[in-house]
This record gives sequence, C-alpha cells and structure tokens, in this order.
Amino acid sequence: MGVPEMKKADYKIPRGKLVSAEITEDGARLVNVKIMGDFFMHPEEAIVALEGDLKGIRVAELEEVVSRFFSKNKVSLFGISPRDFIHVIRLALEQDIQG
Amino acid sequence: MRTGLTEVWRLIDMRVEDAPTQMAIDEAIASARRREETPNTVRMYRWNPSAVSIGYFQSVAKEVNLDECEKQNVDVIRRITGGGAVYHDYNGELTYSFVAPQNDPKVPKDIMASYELICGAVVKGLTHLGVESEFKPVNDIIAGGKKISGNAQTRRHGVVLQHGTVLIDTDIEKMFQVLRISDAKISDKMIKAVEDRVTNIRRYLDRDVSFMEARNALVKGFEETFDVELVPGELTEYENQLVEDYHIRYSSHGWVFQR
Repeated sequence: MGVPEMKKADYKIPRGKLVSAEITEDGARLVNVKIMGDFFMHPEEAIVALEGDLKGIRVAELEEVVSRFFSKNKVSLFGISPRDFIHVIRLALEQDIQG
Repeated sequence: MRTGLTEVWRLIDMRVEDAPTQMAIDEAIASARRREETPNTVRMYRWNPSAVSIGYFQSVAKEVNLDECEKQNVDVIRRITGGGAVYHDYNGELTYSFVAPQNDPKVPKDIMASYELICGAVVKGLTHLGVESEFKPVNDIIAGGKKISGNAQTRRHGVVLQHGTVLIDTDIEKMFQVLRISDAKISDKMIKAVEDRVTNIRRYLDRDVSFMEARNALVKGFEETFDVELVPGELTEYENQLVEDYHIRYSSHGWVFQR
C-alpha cells in the first residue's frame, strides 16, 4: 500500500469515440476513478454509478466489476463498449505519475 | 398549405439567447412533453454570446481553452447530452432541437435508427440548399467527406431530445482557438490539419447563405421527413417556469465544471 497516485490516459477507440480516465490508486486498489469523453451512454447518470462501483476495488477485479455493471444495469452505449472502459483504465494504470 | 390532414407540430423559431437559456429551453420542452403539457416541438436557434457546449461526459479542462473563451467573450456550457464539444458561433451557426415521445409512431424506438431519421431531416434540409450530405454514425453529418453537423440525443422518461449544430459560416479558425483538440483524436484520423475535418455551408457552396435561408431549408427538411407541418408557437407558462429553474443549474459552476 502506497500513497495514492493520480494517473491519466486517453484512448481513441478505433472507429469510435475518445475516452479518458483519471484514476487514483494506492498500489493495490483504485481509490478514485473518473471517466470522460465524447461517447454516448443512456442514461447519462449511469457513469456516476459506474465510477462508484469502481471505487475501492482491487485492480485485479477491474474487468469483472465493469462487466458485471453492464450486465446488471440497463445501459446503452454508442461509440464505446464496456471493454474500452477497461482498456483506458488499464492504460492509465500503466502510466507514470502525472505532474 | 394546411390540408387539415397533416399533423401539426410546434416550431419555436429562431430565438437568440445565451447558452444557459438555450440548454434550459431544450430540457424544459422535453420535461413538459413527458407530462403531455406540450406538443412535439422543433426549435431553430442561435447563441448570443457565442458559446462552446461540451458533452455530458467531457472534461471542461481537456476540451475548452478557457483563457481564449474569456478573451473572446465565448460562454462555456455542459449539455445534458453526450457527444463532443461544439463551437456555437453567433455569426455562423444554427442549432436545431427535436422533442417527441419515444413511443410516437414517427420516432423509431431504436436509438441509432432515430439518430438516422432525425439527422435525415437535417440532410434533407441541406439538400434544399444544394449541399449533398450524409449521416455518418454515430452522430455526424458529413458533406464532401468533412463534418458539417454534429448531433446529440438523450432519452429521459420516455421522451427523445436531440439537438444538433449546422455550420453555416462558422469561423473555423476561431473554433480551433476556443476548442482543444486532443492529439489522440488527430493521430487516429491521420489528418495533419484539424481544419481539414470540418466544413460549413458557405465553404461548400461558395456563396453566402443567410440564417433565414438555412432555417427555411431545415424546417422543410423536418416537415418532409416527419410528414408534419411545423407551426410557429411560443413556450407555455409551465415551460417558461422550468426554463427559469433549469437556467440556475446550467449557469452554475458545479454543473459546468463537474468533469
């Protein structure tokens, strides 16, 4: 367990939209996750619920939590897919700490 | 000419307002439509002062050059719809909005199909001006390979709200001063000059097109696509009350800067 670090990544989805993630992690768990971009999600407020579900999870649980979120909630996505959310968060995790 | 057989929808015509008011009006109509307080409605409008609207999920800091906006007196607002950042140039951009229940027989239940239909009304309108364009999923309309219109839809409580921008004579240089375009987005499309991705009606036709000429063409496009007559009307008292309420939220720092 270390000091929480803010990490960021952008991912341009091939033939899709741009998604960005800003995450704070303490070495084992995601402390905070913010997802941004020009994609479409109906209902829009579901993004807050997704970010809430990701809070405090172990990094290893990422794929499972995202998949579960989209299978249990009635959410429509355009220009993005559940695996793109996973991908951008993984990219952020691989980044060096941002200023 | 009204035949008595054609369905009538309301047209809220060419209101010029600031960004929070325009977004509050769109949401107010959608809310009122849900309560059956109001008819299906199409709006044509302009933004004064000019404004940048960002999508619901976008980050202000990532998408908007705030210093440049302040210097050029450009408002910044967050929409309730997803999608990308748009520069609404008072002198060169026309915005439309469309509100109808999602169970209206004229509105496809499928979201992508409804995008295609509503954007089809814009495409038809552009055809009347001599602009050959096409819908490009998810939410763009392109002419000559370049974007000429961006569109965004939300569905809340059984109502479809779609609004979109039509570039008439937008100052594209200024557009790219107030918007930040990410390197990731540019490199993916392998385009060196971002300006090459966007066009407007004036550039396409190489002639001046007035707001009224564009408005007339778009109104015709909507009327033909939905087989309705758009009759100018006003907001109801209930809608005006909602506009006042929503205006407070749209103008708030907490709303605009939430991401």
